[in-house]
Amino acid sequence: MISFRYKEKGTAIHKLNPFCKLVWVFSIFVLALIFNNPLYLLLLFLSTLPVIIAARVWREWASLMKFALYLCLVIIIINALVSYHGSSVLWQAPCSVPLMGTPVITLEAIFFGVGMSLRLLTIISAFAILTFTIHPDDIMLAMLKMKLPYKSVLVTSLSTRFIPTLIDDVERISDVQRSRGLELDRGKLMQRIKSRMAIIVPLLSNSLDRTVQVAEAMESRAFGSGEKRTFYKEVKLSKLDVPALIFGFLPLALGTFMRWWGQGDYRYYPALEKISLDGFECSMLALLLFLLCMMVSLAFLKKRIELD
Amino acid sequence: MRKSYLCLVLILVIGIAAFIIPLFPQSPLNSFINWGLTATALVILAIIAFFFEFEAAAISSKEIALVAMLGTISAVSRIPFAVIPNMQPCTYLIICSGYVFGPVAGFMVGAVTALVSNFFLGQGPWTPYQMFAWGLVGVSAAYTRRFKPDRIWLIIFGAIWGYLYGWIMNTWFWVSFIYPLTLRTFIVYQLNSIWFDTFHAIGNAIFLGLFGMKTIAILERFRKRFSWGIHDRADLPFNLTN
Repeated sequence: MISFRYKEKGTAIHKLNPFCKLVWVFSIFVLALIFNNPLYLLLLFLSTLPVIIAARVWREWASLMKFALYLCLVIIIINALVSYHGSSVLWQAPCSVPLMGTPVITLEAIFFGVGMSLRLLTIISAFAILTFTIHPDDIMLAMLKMKLPYKSVLVTSLSTRFIPTLIDDVERISDVQRSRGLELDRGKLMQRIKSRMAIIVPLLSNSLDRTVQVAEAMESRAFGSGEKRTFYKEVKLSKLDVPALIFGFLPLALGTFMRWWGQGDYRYYPALEKISLDGFECSMLALLLFLLCMMVSLAFLKKRIELD
Repeated sequence: MRKSYLCLVLILVIGIAAFIIPLFPQSPLNSFINWGLTATALVILAIIAFFFEFEAAAISSKEIALVAMLGTISAVSRIPFAVIPNMQPCTYLIICSGYVFGPVAGFMVGAVTALVSNFFLGQGPWTPYQMFAWGLVGVSAAYTRRFKPDRIWLIIFGAIWGYLYGWIMNTWFWVSFIYPLTLRTFIVYQLNSIWFDTFHAIGNAIFLGLFGMKTIAILERFRKRFSWGIHDRADLPFNLTN
Protein backbone atom coordinates (compact mmCIF):
# COMPACT_ATOMS: atom_id res chain seq x y z
CA MET A 1 0.00 0.00 0.00
CA ILE A 2 2.81 2.40 0.78
CA SER A 3 4.65 2.01 -2.50
CA PHE A 4 3.18 4.91 -4.47
CA ARG A 5 3.80 7.81 -2.19
CA TYR A 6 5.87 10.95 -2.06
CA LYS A 7 9.51 10.47 -1.10
CA GLU A 8 11.94 13.29 -0.59
CA LYS A 9 14.69 12.93 -3.16
CA GLY A 10 15.99 16.47 -3.35
CA THR A 11 16.19 16.61 -7.13
CA ALA A 12 15.63 19.79 -9.10
CA ILE A 13 12.05 18.71 -9.81
CA HIS A 14 11.31 18.04 -6.14
CA LYS A 15 12.60 21.49 -5.24
CA LEU A 16 10.52 23.27 -7.85
CA ASN A 17 7.61 25.27 -6.53
CA PRO A 18 4.55 22.99 -6.07
CA PHE A 19 2.24 25.41 -7.87
CA CYS A 20 4.29 25.12 -11.05
CA LYS A 21 4.11 21.34 -10.99
CA LEU A 22 0.39 21.34 -10.27
CA VAL A 23 -0.30 23.72 -13.14
CA TRP A 24 1.89 21.67 -15.45
CA VAL A 25 0.13 18.40 -14.56
CA PHE A 26 -3.25 20.06 -15.00
CA SER A 27 -2.17 21.36 -18.45
CA ILE A 28 -1.11 17.89 -19.58
CA PHE A 29 -4.37 16.39 -18.25
CA VAL A 30 -6.56 18.86 -20.16
CA LEU A 31 -4.44 18.71 -23.32
CA ALA A 32 -4.54 14.90 -23.34
CA LEU A 33 -8.32 15.02 -23.15
CA ILE A 34 -8.92 17.67 -25.82
CA PHE A 35 -6.51 16.32 -28.44
CA ASN A 36 -7.60 13.25 -30.41
CA ASN A 37 -4.68 12.88 -32.75
CA PRO A 38 -2.52 9.90 -31.71
CA LEU A 39 0.65 11.72 -32.83
CA TYR A 40 -0.12 14.61 -30.45
CA LEU A 41 -0.93 12.19 -27.63
CA LEU A 42 2.30 10.30 -28.19
CA LEU A 43 4.31 13.53 -28.09
CA LEU A 44 2.49 14.63 -24.92
CA PHE A 45 3.35 11.29 -23.35
CA LEU A 46 7.00 11.62 -24.36
CA SER A 47 7.13 15.12 -22.88
CA THR A 48 6.37 13.72 -19.42
CA LEU A 49 9.38 11.39 -19.57
CA PRO A 50 12.14 14.00 -19.06
CA VAL A 51 10.42 15.11 -15.85
CA ILE A 52 10.19 11.52 -14.60
CA ILE A 53 13.86 10.94 -15.34
CA ALA A 54 14.95 14.26 -13.84
CA ALA A 55 12.99 13.52 -10.68
CA ARG A 56 14.55 10.01 -10.46
CA VAL A 57 11.20 8.32 -9.89
CA TRP A 58 11.28 6.07 -12.94
CA ARG A 59 11.19 2.89 -10.89
CA GLU A 60 7.93 3.82 -9.15
CA TRP A 61 6.70 5.16 -12.46
CA ALA A 62 7.37 1.83 -14.16
CA SER A 63 5.38 -0.12 -11.60
CA LEU A 64 2.50 2.32 -12.04
CA MET A 65 2.77 1.88 -15.80
CA LYS A 66 2.39 -1.89 -15.44
CA PHE A 67 -0.98 -1.28 -13.88
CA ALA A 68 -1.79 1.24 -16.60
CA LEU A 69 -0.91 -1.25 -19.34
CA TYR A 70 -3.49 -3.64 -17.95
CA LEU A 71 -6.09 -0.88 -18.23
CA CYS A 72 -4.91 -0.20 -21.80
CA LEU A 73 -5.50 -3.83 -22.67
CA VAL A 74 -9.06 -3.53 -21.35
CA ILE A 75 -9.60 -0.37 -23.40
CA ILE A 76 -8.33 -1.97 -26.61
CA ILE A 77 -10.34 -5.18 -26.17
CA ILE A 78 -13.58 -3.44 -25.29
CA ASN A 79 -13.28 -0.91 -28.09
CA ALA A 80 -12.54 -3.69 -30.57
CA LEU A 81 -15.58 -5.62 -29.40
CA VAL A 82 -18.18 -2.87 -29.19
CA SER A 83 -17.39 -0.59 -32.09
CA TYR A 84 -18.79 -1.51 -35.52
CA HIS A 85 -18.11 1.80 -37.24
CA GLY A 86 -14.86 0.84 -38.92
CA SER A 87 -14.72 -0.10 -42.61
CA SER A 88 -11.81 -2.55 -42.77
CA VAL A 89 -13.12 -5.74 -41.20
CA LEU A 90 -10.50 -8.07 -39.77
CA TRP A 91 -12.76 -10.72 -38.33
CA GLN A 92 -16.46 -11.41 -38.22
CA ALA A 93 -18.17 -13.67 -35.73
CA PRO A 94 -19.97 -16.66 -37.27
CA CYS A 95 -23.09 -16.15 -35.17
CA SER A 96 -24.82 -13.31 -33.39
CA VAL A 97 -24.51 -12.78 -29.66
CA PRO A 98 -27.32 -11.34 -27.51
CA LEU A 99 -26.82 -7.66 -26.63
CA MET A 100 -23.90 -7.35 -29.08
CA GLY A 101 -25.42 -8.26 -32.44
CA THR A 102 -22.88 -9.91 -34.73
CA PRO A 103 -19.47 -8.98 -33.36
CA VAL A 104 -17.12 -7.51 -35.94
CA ILE A 105 -13.55 -6.58 -35.21
CA THR A 106 -12.27 -3.76 -37.36
CA LEU A 107 -8.83 -2.27 -37.79
CA GLU A 108 -10.17 1.19 -36.97
CA ALA A 109 -11.58 0.04 -33.63
CA ILE A 110 -8.22 -1.44 -32.63
CA PHE A 111 -6.42 1.75 -33.62
CA PHE A 112 -8.97 3.77 -31.67
CA GLY A 113 -8.19 1.63 -28.65
CA VAL A 114 -4.48 2.23 -29.13
CA GLY A 115 -5.04 5.98 -29.42
CA MET A 116 -7.12 6.00 -26.25
CA SER A 117 -4.46 3.92 -24.47
CA LEU A 118 -1.93 6.62 -25.34
CA ARG A 119 -4.30 9.16 -23.80
CA LEU A 120 -4.57 7.07 -20.62
CA LEU A 121 -0.82 6.55 -20.38
CA THR A 122 -0.23 10.29 -20.78
CA ILE A 123 -2.69 11.13 -18.02
CA ILE A 124 -1.37 8.49 -15.61
CA SER A 125 2.21 9.51 -16.29
CA ALA A 126 1.38 13.14 -15.58
CA PHE A 127 -0.38 12.22 -12.34
CA ALA A 128 2.60 10.10 -11.35
CA ILE A 129 4.61 13.33 -11.31
CA LEU A 130 2.02 14.82 -8.99
CA THR A 131 2.04 11.84 -6.63
CA PHE A 132 5.78 11.30 -6.51
CA THR A 133 7.20 14.81 -6.52
CA ILE A 134 4.74 17.00 -4.60
CA HIS A 135 4.43 16.72 -0.84
CA PRO A 136 0.79 16.26 0.28
CA ASP A 137 1.05 19.31 2.54
CA ASP A 138 2.08 21.43 -0.42
CA ILE A 139 -0.96 20.24 -2.35
CA MET A 140 -3.14 21.25 0.60
CA LEU A 141 -1.50 24.66 0.67
CA ALA A 142 -2.09 25.08 -3.04
CA MET A 143 -5.73 24.12 -2.53
CA LEU A 144 -6.01 26.80 0.14
CA LYS A 145 -4.47 29.39 -2.14
CA MET A 146 -7.05 28.44 -4.78
CA LYS A 147 -9.68 29.60 -2.27
CA LEU A 148 -11.19 26.17 -1.74
CA PRO A 149 -13.29 25.98 1.44
CA TYR A 150 -10.87 26.23 4.31
CA LYS A 151 -12.33 23.72 6.75
CA SER A 152 -12.46 20.94 4.16
CA VAL A 153 -8.84 21.45 3.28
CA LEU A 154 -7.97 21.46 6.97
CA VAL A 155 -9.80 18.15 7.43
CA THR A 156 -7.81 16.63 4.59
CA SER A 157 -4.48 17.85 5.85
CA LEU A 158 -5.23 16.74 9.43
CA SER A 159 -6.11 13.36 8.04
CA THR A 160 -2.91 13.09 5.99
CA ARG A 161 -0.99 13.92 9.10
CA PHE A 162 -2.73 11.20 11.12
CA ILE A 163 -2.15 8.42 8.61
CA PRO A 164 1.37 7.53 9.90
CA THR A 165 0.15 7.64 13.51
CA LEU A 166 -2.73 5.32 12.81
CA ILE A 167 -0.50 2.99 10.79
CA ASP A 168 1.68 2.70 13.88
CA ASP A 169 -1.48 1.99 15.88
CA VAL A 170 -2.50 -0.75 13.46
CA GLU A 171 0.90 -2.39 13.82
CA ARG A 172 0.82 -2.14 17.59
CA ILE A 173 -2.70 -3.53 17.84
CA SER A 174 -1.91 -6.43 15.53
CA ASP A 175 1.19 -7.24 17.60
CA VAL A 176 -0.92 -7.23 20.74
CA GLN A 177 -3.61 -9.39 19.17
CA ARG A 178 -1.03 -11.79 17.80
CA SER A 179 0.59 -12.16 21.19
CA ARG A 180 -2.86 -13.04 22.52
CA GLY A 181 -3.00 -15.89 20.02
CA LEU A 182 -4.86 -14.33 17.09
CA GLU A 183 -3.87 -15.93 13.80
CA LEU A 184 -4.28 -13.46 10.97
CA ASP A 185 -3.49 -15.69 8.00
CA ARG A 186 -5.21 -18.88 9.02
CA GLY A 187 -8.53 -20.30 7.97
CA LYS A 188 -11.10 -19.47 5.36
CA LEU A 189 -12.04 -16.07 4.02
CA MET A 190 -14.68 -15.48 6.70
CA GLN A 191 -12.23 -16.43 9.42
CA ARG A 192 -9.61 -14.09 8.02
CA ILE A 193 -12.01 -11.19 7.83
CA LYS A 194 -13.15 -11.85 11.40
CA SER A 195 -9.61 -11.95 12.71
CA ARG A 196 -8.74 -8.73 10.91
CA MET A 197 -11.73 -7.00 12.41
CA ALA A 198 -10.11 -7.68 15.77
CA ILE A 199 -7.69 -4.99 14.62
CA ILE A 200 -10.21 -2.53 13.21
CA VAL A 201 -12.57 -2.35 16.20
CA PRO A 202 -9.88 -1.43 18.79
CA LEU A 203 -8.45 0.99 16.25
CA LEU A 204 -11.83 2.65 15.97
CA SER A 205 -12.39 3.19 19.67
CA ASN A 206 -8.75 4.08 20.22
CA SER A 207 -8.67 6.81 17.60
CA LEU A 208 -12.05 8.23 18.52
CA ASP A 209 -10.54 9.10 21.86
CA ARG A 210 -7.78 10.83 20.00
CA THR A 211 -10.39 12.99 18.28
CA VAL A 212 -11.19 14.62 21.61
CA GLN A 213 -7.52 15.40 22.12
CA VAL A 214 -7.21 16.91 18.67
CA ALA A 215 -10.27 19.08 19.19
CA GLU A 216 -8.90 20.22 22.57
CA ALA A 217 -5.53 21.00 21.03
CA MET A 218 -7.20 23.06 18.32
CA GLU A 219 -9.33 24.93 20.83
CA SER A 220 -6.33 25.68 23.01
CA ARG A 221 -4.61 27.23 20.01
CA ALA A 222 -7.67 29.42 19.50
CA PHE A 223 -8.84 27.78 16.34
CA GLY A 224 -11.52 29.76 14.59
CA SER A 225 -11.08 32.83 16.75
CA GLY A 226 -9.90 35.10 13.98
CA GLU A 227 -11.04 35.73 10.47
CA LYS A 228 -7.70 34.92 8.88
CA ARG A 229 -5.31 32.24 9.96
CA THR A 230 -1.55 32.53 9.94
CA PHE A 231 0.81 30.01 8.39
CA TYR A 232 3.82 28.36 9.89
CA LYS A 233 5.24 27.56 6.47
CA GLU A 234 4.82 29.99 3.64
CA VAL A 235 5.26 28.98 0.03
CA LYS A 236 6.72 32.01 -1.63
CA LEU A 237 7.17 32.50 -5.34
CA SER A 238 10.79 33.24 -6.06
CA LYS A 239 11.94 35.18 -9.08
CA LEU A 240 12.37 32.02 -11.12
CA ASP A 241 9.06 30.51 -10.04
CA VAL A 242 7.07 33.15 -11.85
CA PRO A 243 8.44 32.19 -15.28
CA ALA A 244 8.02 28.53 -14.33
CA LEU A 245 4.39 29.19 -13.47
CA ILE A 246 3.91 31.01 -16.75
CA PHE A 247 5.53 28.14 -18.62
CA GLY A 248 3.08 25.83 -16.88
CA PHE A 249 0.12 27.83 -18.16
CA LEU A 250 1.45 28.65 -21.63
CA PRO A 251 1.12 25.09 -23.05
CA LEU A 252 -2.49 24.99 -21.86
CA ALA A 253 -3.25 28.33 -23.49
CA LEU A 254 -1.44 27.41 -26.70
CA GLY A 255 -3.08 23.98 -26.85
CA THR A 256 -6.55 25.45 -26.33
CA PHE A 257 -5.80 27.96 -29.08
CA MET A 258 -4.62 25.20 -31.45
CA ARG A 259 -7.69 23.13 -30.71
CA TRP A 260 -9.89 26.19 -31.34
CA TRP A 261 -8.45 26.34 -34.85
CA GLY A 262 -9.25 22.70 -35.40
CA GLN A 263 -5.75 21.35 -34.96
CA GLY A 264 -5.06 18.03 -33.28
CA ASP A 265 -8.33 16.47 -34.34
CA TYR A 266 -8.37 13.01 -35.83
CA ARG A 267 -11.10 10.76 -37.18
CA TYR A 268 -10.73 7.05 -36.63
CA TYR A 269 -14.09 6.14 -38.19
CA PRO A 270 -15.20 5.13 -40.78
CA ALA A 271 -11.65 4.80 -42.12
CA LEU A 272 -8.36 5.85 -40.55
CA GLU A 273 -7.30 9.34 -41.57
CA LYS A 274 -3.81 10.00 -42.78
CA ILE A 275 -1.87 12.14 -40.33
CA SER A 276 -0.62 15.09 -42.32
CA LEU A 277 0.70 18.29 -40.80
CA ASP A 278 1.39 21.44 -42.80
CA GLY A 279 4.26 23.75 -41.90
CA PHE A 280 2.20 25.97 -39.63
CA GLU A 281 0.80 23.05 -37.66
CA CYS A 282 4.26 21.52 -37.34
CA SER A 283 5.73 24.70 -35.94
CA MET A 284 2.84 25.11 -33.50
CA LEU A 285 3.29 21.56 -32.28
CA ALA A 286 7.03 22.08 -31.90
CA LEU A 287 6.37 25.25 -29.92
CA LEU A 288 3.95 23.35 -27.66
CA LEU A 289 6.52 20.64 -26.98
CA PHE A 290 9.21 23.22 -26.37
CA LEU A 291 7.01 24.95 -23.79
CA LEU A 292 6.22 21.64 -22.07
CA CYS A 293 9.90 20.73 -21.83
CA MET A 294 10.86 24.15 -20.50
CA MET A 295 9.78 23.11 -17.02
CA VAL A 296 12.65 20.65 -16.61
CA SER A 297 15.23 23.09 -17.83
CA LEU A 298 13.83 25.83 -15.60
CA ALA A 299 14.00 23.45 -12.64
CA PHE A 300 17.66 22.78 -13.36
CA LEU A 301 18.35 26.46 -13.91
CA LYS A 302 16.76 27.24 -10.56
CA LYS A 303 18.83 24.62 -8.79
CA ARG A 304 21.96 25.90 -10.52
CA ILE A 305 21.30 29.46 -9.42
CA GLU A 306 20.56 28.37 -5.86
CA LEU A 307 23.86 26.48 -5.76
CA ASP A 308 25.85 29.52 -6.82
CA MET B 1 -26.89 33.16 -1.03
CA ARG B 2 -25.21 29.94 -0.10
CA LYS B 3 -22.03 29.32 -1.99
CA SER B 4 -22.96 25.73 -2.71
CA TYR B 5 -25.84 26.98 -4.86
CA LEU B 6 -23.30 28.74 -7.03
CA CYS B 7 -21.74 25.36 -7.78
CA LEU B 8 -25.14 23.92 -8.59
CA VAL B 9 -25.82 26.76 -11.02
CA LEU B 10 -22.44 26.15 -12.68
CA ILE B 11 -23.23 22.43 -12.96
CA LEU B 12 -26.51 23.29 -14.66
CA VAL B 13 -24.84 25.75 -17.05
CA ILE B 14 -22.15 23.26 -18.08
CA GLY B 15 -24.70 20.49 -18.44
CA ILE B 16 -27.01 22.55 -20.64
CA ALA B 17 -24.10 23.90 -22.69
CA ALA B 18 -22.90 20.34 -23.33
CA PHE B 19 -26.27 19.57 -24.88
CA ILE B 20 -26.73 22.81 -26.83
CA ILE B 21 -23.28 23.24 -28.40
CA PRO B 22 -23.43 20.08 -30.55
CA LEU B 23 -26.57 21.55 -32.17
CA PHE B 24 -24.30 24.11 -33.87
CA PRO B 25 -21.78 21.96 -35.76
CA GLN B 26 -19.94 24.97 -37.19
CA SER B 27 -18.89 26.37 -33.81
CA PRO B 28 -15.25 25.79 -32.82
CA LEU B 29 -16.52 25.15 -29.28
CA ASN B 30 -17.45 21.70 -30.52
CA SER B 31 -13.88 20.52 -30.22
CA PHE B 32 -14.11 21.15 -26.48
CA ILE B 33 -17.19 19.01 -25.96
CA ASN B 34 -15.21 16.18 -24.55
CA TRP B 35 -17.28 14.03 -22.26
CA GLY B 36 -14.33 12.97 -20.13
CA LEU B 37 -13.51 16.60 -19.41
CA THR B 38 -17.14 17.61 -18.89
CA ALA B 39 -17.85 14.73 -16.52
CA THR B 40 -14.73 15.51 -14.45
CA ALA B 41 -15.70 19.18 -14.21
CA LEU B 42 -19.22 18.28 -13.07
CA VAL B 43 -18.00 15.83 -10.43
CA ILE B 44 -15.43 18.30 -9.07
CA LEU B 45 -18.08 21.03 -8.85
CA ALA B 46 -20.38 18.67 -6.96
CA ILE B 47 -17.60 17.88 -4.49
CA ILE B 48 -16.89 21.58 -3.97
CA ALA B 49 -20.59 22.19 -3.34
CA PHE B 50 -20.47 19.65 -0.52
CA PHE B 51 -17.31 21.28 0.81
CA PHE B 52 -19.18 24.56 1.09
CA GLU B 53 -22.00 22.78 2.94
CA PHE B 54 -19.43 21.39 5.37
CA GLU B 55 -18.03 24.90 5.83
CA ALA B 56 -21.42 25.95 7.13
CA ALA B 57 -22.15 22.76 9.12
CA ALA B 58 -18.84 22.46 10.98
CA ILE B 59 -19.15 25.10 13.66
CA SER B 60 -16.29 24.13 15.94
CA SER B 61 -13.02 22.26 15.96
CA LYS B 62 -14.90 19.18 17.21
CA GLU B 63 -16.55 18.43 13.90
CA ILE B 64 -13.34 19.03 11.99
CA ALA B 65 -11.33 16.69 14.20
CA LEU B 66 -14.08 14.07 14.10
CA VAL B 67 -14.43 13.98 10.33
CA ALA B 68 -10.66 13.99 9.85
CA MET B 69 -10.25 11.07 12.24
CA LEU B 70 -13.08 9.00 10.75
CA GLY B 71 -11.64 9.59 7.28
CA THR B 72 -8.20 8.51 8.45
CA ILE B 73 -9.55 5.37 10.12
CA SER B 74 -11.32 4.28 6.99
CA ALA B 75 -8.28 5.09 4.82
CA VAL B 76 -5.94 3.17 7.15
CA SER B 77 -8.32 0.23 7.48
CA ARG B 78 -7.38 -0.66 3.93
CA ILE B 79 -3.95 -1.81 5.12
CA PRO B 80 -4.72 -5.00 7.08
CA PHE B 81 -7.06 -6.03 4.26
CA ALA B 82 -4.68 -5.31 1.42
CA VAL B 83 -3.99 -9.05 1.00
CA ILE B 84 -7.66 -9.86 0.36
CA PRO B 85 -8.46 -8.42 -3.08
CA ASN B 86 -11.32 -5.92 -3.27
CA MET B 87 -12.53 -6.75 0.25
CA GLN B 88 -11.95 -3.47 1.94
CA PRO B 89 -13.79 -2.08 4.93
CA CYS B 90 -13.82 1.54 3.66
CA THR B 91 -17.34 1.46 2.33
CA TYR B 92 -18.70 -0.14 5.47
CA LEU B 93 -16.96 2.39 7.72
CA ILE B 94 -18.27 5.26 5.59
CA ILE B 95 -21.79 3.84 5.76
CA CYS B 96 -21.58 3.63 9.55
CA SER B 97 -20.18 7.17 9.87
CA GLY B 98 -22.82 8.62 7.57
CA TYR B 99 -25.52 6.73 9.43
CA VAL B 100 -24.48 8.08 12.80
CA PHE B 101 -23.21 11.57 12.05
CA GLY B 102 -25.44 12.73 9.20
CA PRO B 103 -25.20 13.43 5.47
CA VAL B 104 -22.63 16.23 5.46
CA ALA B 105 -20.25 14.36 7.75
CA GLY B 106 -20.86 11.20 5.72
CA PHE B 107 -19.91 12.90 2.50
CA MET B 108 -16.80 14.43 4.01
CA VAL B 109 -15.64 11.12 5.51
CA GLY B 110 -16.04 9.45 2.11
CA ALA B 111 -14.29 12.22 0.22
CA VAL B 112 -11.41 12.41 2.70
CA THR B 113 -10.98 8.63 2.61
CA ALA B 114 -10.50 8.67 -1.15
CA LEU B 115 -8.28 11.75 -1.32
CA VAL B 116 -6.01 10.79 1.57
CA SER B 117 -5.59 7.12 0.79
CA ASN B 118 -4.66 8.09 -2.76
CA PHE B 119 -1.73 10.10 -1.45
CA PHE B 120 -0.37 6.67 -0.59
CA LEU B 121 -1.85 4.60 -3.41
CA GLY B 122 -1.32 7.06 -6.23
CA GLN B 123 -3.38 10.05 -7.28
CA GLY B 124 -4.98 9.97 -10.67
CA PRO B 125 -7.93 11.16 -12.69
CA TRP B 126 -9.97 8.63 -10.73
CA THR B 127 -9.53 10.54 -7.44
CA PRO B 128 -12.50 12.94 -7.90
CA TYR B 129 -14.73 10.04 -8.87
CA GLN B 130 -13.74 8.02 -5.81
CA MET B 131 -14.33 11.07 -3.62
CA PHE B 132 -17.72 11.56 -5.20
CA ALA B 133 -18.77 7.90 -5.08
CA TRP B 134 -17.72 7.31 -1.48
CA GLY B 135 -19.17 10.69 -0.55
CA LEU B 136 -22.54 9.62 -1.92
CA VAL B 137 -22.25 6.38 0.05
CA GLY B 138 -22.04 8.48 3.22
CA VAL B 139 -24.88 10.80 2.22
CA SER B 140 -27.25 7.99 1.33
CA ALA B 141 -26.39 6.07 4.51
CA ALA B 142 -27.48 9.09 6.53
CA TYR B 143 -30.92 9.01 4.95
CA THR B 144 -31.46 5.32 5.68
CA ARG B 145 -31.59 6.25 9.37
CA ARG B 146 -35.17 7.41 8.87
CA PHE B 147 -36.25 3.86 8.11
CA LYS B 148 -34.47 2.42 11.16
CA PRO B 149 -32.89 -0.39 9.13
CA ASP B 150 -32.14 -3.70 10.81
CA ARG B 151 -29.20 -5.89 9.99
CA ILE B 152 -30.69 -7.40 6.83
CA TRP B 153 -31.46 -4.02 5.29
CA LEU B 154 -27.99 -2.76 6.10
CA ILE B 155 -26.55 -5.79 4.31
CA ILE B 156 -28.73 -5.15 1.24
CA PHE B 157 -27.82 -1.46 1.32
CA GLY B 158 -24.09 -2.27 1.41
CA ALA B 159 -24.38 -4.80 -1.40
CA ILE B 160 -26.21 -2.30 -3.62
CA TRP B 161 -23.47 0.26 -3.02
CA GLY B 162 -20.85 -2.29 -3.99
CA TYR B 163 -22.28 -2.26 -7.49
CA LEU B 164 -23.23 1.43 -7.63
CA TYR B 165 -19.71 2.43 -6.60
CA GLY B 166 -18.28 0.40 -9.44
CA TRP B 167 -20.70 1.97 -11.89
CA ILE B 168 -19.77 5.49 -10.89
CA MET B 169 -16.09 4.65 -11.15
CA ASN B 170 -16.53 3.04 -14.56
CA THR B 171 -18.42 6.00 -15.94
CA TRP B 172 -15.35 8.18 -16.30
CA PHE B 173 -13.50 5.45 -18.07
CA TRP B 174 -16.41 4.80 -20.34
CA VAL B 175 -16.90 8.44 -21.37
CA SER B 176 -13.19 9.06 -21.90
CA PHE B 177 -11.96 5.98 -23.69
CA ILE B 178 -14.84 4.15 -25.34
CA TYR B 179 -16.54 4.99 -28.62
CA PRO B 180 -19.46 5.15 -29.42
CA LEU B 181 -21.18 6.21 -26.21
CA THR B 182 -24.35 4.16 -26.37
CA LEU B 183 -26.33 2.15 -23.86
CA ARG B 184 -24.93 -1.03 -25.37
CA THR B 185 -21.27 -0.07 -24.88
CA PHE B 186 -22.14 1.19 -21.40
CA ILE B 187 -23.56 -2.20 -20.43
CA VAL B 188 -20.64 -4.09 -21.99
CA TYR B 189 -18.19 -1.90 -20.10
CA GLN B 190 -20.02 -2.41 -16.81
CA LEU B 191 -20.05 -6.18 -17.37
CA ASN B 192 -16.26 -6.03 -17.67
CA SER B 193 -15.92 -5.03 -14.03
CA ILE B 194 -18.77 -7.13 -12.70
CA TRP B 195 -16.45 -9.49 -10.82
CA PHE B 196 -14.68 -6.73 -8.98
CA ASP B 197 -18.00 -5.14 -8.10
CA THR B 198 -19.42 -8.44 -6.91
CA PHE B 199 -16.45 -8.90 -4.60
CA HIS B 200 -16.91 -5.38 -3.32
CA ALA B 201 -20.61 -6.01 -2.72
CA ILE B 202 -19.96 -9.32 -0.95
CA GLY B 203 -17.30 -7.63 1.17
CA ASN B 204 -19.67 -4.85 2.19
CA ALA B 205 -22.37 -7.35 3.03
CA ILE B 206 -20.01 -9.41 5.20
CA PHE B 207 -18.63 -6.38 7.03
CA LEU B 208 -22.03 -4.84 7.64
CA GLY B 209 -23.59 -8.15 8.60
CA LEU B 210 -20.90 -9.11 11.08
CA PHE B 211 -19.83 -5.76 12.48
CA GLY B 212 -22.27 -3.12 11.24
CA MET B 213 -24.46 -2.93 14.33
CA LYS B 214 -21.46 -3.08 16.65
CA THR B 215 -19.66 -0.25 14.85
CA ILE B 216 -22.79 1.87 14.80
CA ALA B 217 -23.15 1.31 18.54
CA ILE B 218 -19.54 2.40 19.14
CA LEU B 219 -20.02 5.52 17.05
CA GLU B 220 -23.40 6.32 18.65
CA ARG B 221 -21.91 6.10 22.10
CA PHE B 222 -19.08 8.34 21.02
CA ARG B 223 -21.51 10.86 19.53
CA LYS B 224 -23.39 11.08 22.83
CA ARG B 225 -20.19 11.44 24.79
CA PHE B 226 -18.72 13.94 22.37
CA SER B 227 -21.75 16.17 22.18
CA TRP B 228 -22.29 16.56 25.89
CA GLY B 229 -22.90 20.15 26.88
CA ILE B 230 -24.36 22.35 29.59
CA HIS B 231 -26.05 24.83 27.25
CA ASP B 232 -29.66 24.31 26.39
CA ARG B 233 -28.59 24.24 22.74
CA ALA B 234 -25.98 21.53 23.14
CA ASP B 235 -23.67 21.87 20.18
CA LEU B 236 -24.26 18.43 18.79
CA PRO B 237 -21.90 17.56 16.00
CA PHE B 238 -24.00 17.74 12.87
CA ASN B 239 -27.31 18.35 14.54
CA LEU B 240 -28.84 17.64 11.14
CA THR B 241 -29.10 14.01 12.23
CA ASN B 242 -31.99 14.27 14.65
